[in-house]
Amino acid sequence: MRINLKTKIWLTICSIVFMFSFFTLFYFPQQQGDLLVNNYENEVQNLANTVALGVKIAINEQNFEGVQTAMEFVKDDPRLQFISMLQSDTIWNAKHDKFEIKQKVFRTFPEKVHLDPTISSNDSLIVKKSNFATGMMSGAILLGFNTKGIEASKAEIKKTSVIVSCIVLLIGILIGFWLARNISVPVLALRDAAHKVGEGDLNQKIKKIHRDEIGELEKAFNKMIDDLETTTNELNEKNEVLSATNSTLNDTLEELKKTHAQLVQSEKMASLGELTAGIAHEIQNPLNFVNNFSEVSIELIDEVLEERGKSAPDRDETLEAELLDDISKNLEKIAHHGKRADGIVKGMLMHSRTSSGVKEPTDINALCDEYLRLSYHGLRAKDKSFNATIKTDFDATVKTVNAMSQDLGRVILNLLTNAFYAVNEKKQQNPAGYEPTVSVSTKNIDGKVEISVSDNGNGIPKKVIDKIFQPFFTTKPTGQGTGLGLSLSYDIITQGHGGELQVDTTEGESTVFIIRIPV
Amino acid sequence: MACLLFTVPGKAQQTTLTAIGNVSGAPAEMKQSELKSVLMGEKQRWKNGKRILIALMKTNTALGKTTSSKIYDMSGDELNKYWLSLVFQGKAQAPVFFTSVSDLQNFVAQNPGAIGIVDKPIAGTEVRAVMIDGKSSF
Repeated sequence: MRINLKTKIWLTICSIVFMFSFFTLFYFPQQQGDLLVNNYENEVQNLANTVALGVKIAINEQNFEGVQTAMEFVKDDPRLQFISMLQSDTIWNAKHDKFEIKQKVFRTFPEKVHLDPTISSNDSLIVKKSNFATGMMSGAILLGFNTKGIEASKAEIKKTSVIVSCIVLLIGILIGFWLARNISVPVLALRDAAHKVGEGDLNQKIKKIHRDEIGELEKAFNKMIDDLETTTNELNEKNEVLSATNSTLNDTLEELKKTHAQLVQSEKMASLGELTAGIAHEIQNPLNFVNNFSEVSIELIDEVLEERGKSAPDRDETLEAELLDDISKNLEKIAHHGKRADGIVKGMLMHSRTSSGVKEPTDINALCDEYLRLSYHGLRAKDKSFNATIKTDFDATVKTVNAMSQDLGRVILNLLTNAFYAVNEKKQQNPAGYEPTVSVSTKNIDGKVEISVSDNGNGIPKKVIDKIFQPFFTTKPTGQGTGLGLSLSYDIITQGHGGELQVDTTEGESTVFIIRIPV
Repeated sequence: MACLLFTVPGKAQQTTLTAIGNVSGAPAEMKQSELKSVLMGEKQRWKNGKRILIALMKTNTALGKTTSSKIYDMSGDELNKYWLSLVFQGKAQAPVFFTSVSDLQNFVAQNPGAIGIVDKPIAGTEVRAVMIDGKSSF
């Protein structure tokens, strides 16, 4: 059960009022009544004692001044019902061996009152007795006072208690209302305002500020709203700035994506450019065969026609058959080299196409061999003076591997192009006895295929070794490299094939790039 | 009452008594019955309005005993009881008892309206003997 603040205040006030009312209506009158009765009895007893003492002095010393003064004092009291002097008589039996003491009334004031010596107190009468004994006479003073005064006082106390209780109840109700108005109402208003502020409505400032702790709370609440408003405005402004910045960043990102795509395309075109010379060389070779065999075949056809033009005795049908056979073989060779050129062209087209992302069985050794030759002849086509020793060590156990052949070929081509570029650079520095060498090898190790491309160029400086896989980082002169080759290669191997690409270099001596892809 | 007043008990030493009174309050003479009424507390004021104050010797003195027996015809205890009754019931002003005649005389002299009983006539500026039925002693 949830008790709200207003209920708690009223419960507290009511508890205090009820406890006070109980005290003033019941306990206090009872206690005061008992006190009054007790004091009254003491007063009556003291008066009786005083009169008894006066009597004793009067009898013993014949000095009646004390008893006279006491009696005058008692007689003038409006509460007096009677005052009686009892005389005690000793009554012996006939044998005079036993006696009893009997008290009888000696004198009573007022005279008309006739009372029993054994009278005692009741609700309307307080009776007190004080004994005296003298040589002449023994007895007691019996004093009776009415309780009208006490009852009147009790009634007055009760009346006062009821009035005080009513006043307290009224004050309690007023305090309750005052507290409810000054504590509960402002607190509930603060609660409602806080709820609305929480919902985003900042126009909830407390207008009426109290001059107490709640007022301080209201001031703090208003300041909180001010601060919240300021902060919200600042946040909105910053959001706008951020939004504008975000928009700019999005635009920039779009530009970057476009630029990146363009750079990737440029890199692809650059690698295609590297290939073009090699491809041209590769195509030239079969084309030479086609041309030569075609020319030879034309000559052979002329010879066959010449033989067929001869008369029977001169016509050598055996020669004619041999010539036709040679022509047939030439045509087979032409067809063979034509297909070879066709394959090269198709390979070039495949290289230029965007990767499909689909893995297919790929002969790693053949792929390495093909791109090694394309790369080498490409460089040779550009620089006829360039020459390098090429070493291959293909592991025969390396069979086909599921790979994206175009992407993997592009990586191998990139590594080989870099290797040839490195050895060519070093060769142009004319070191003594330097023989440029590029090696390609494959290995089958623990369920992985390892492809190594090494060169004995100048190596990679330590200060840039950590940056070589970063996009757009290149050590080549401007216009000769995009800086995306190794970055794309790294992504193709690690993300495209789940493999790894490592580099091991000795500055001034050699560099080895190692590709490992799972079988 | 006259018999009571003038009967002398065998044990009493004095045979005559004298009434003295304050010159400004008590009368110079009165009848015996009037004296009796005054001493019994039956009369509270003199004719001149002065309050009557009775001065007696204590009953343990010879003069007191004589006074008690000769005037009141009571023993000392009976006299005490008598006055106690009157005082208790507010009927009379109790007498003032003295142990010496001189004290009694001084009291009478100092209190207008006072009357006392002594054994012989005394004369002073403030005190005089009250003649009872024309006699100074009775």
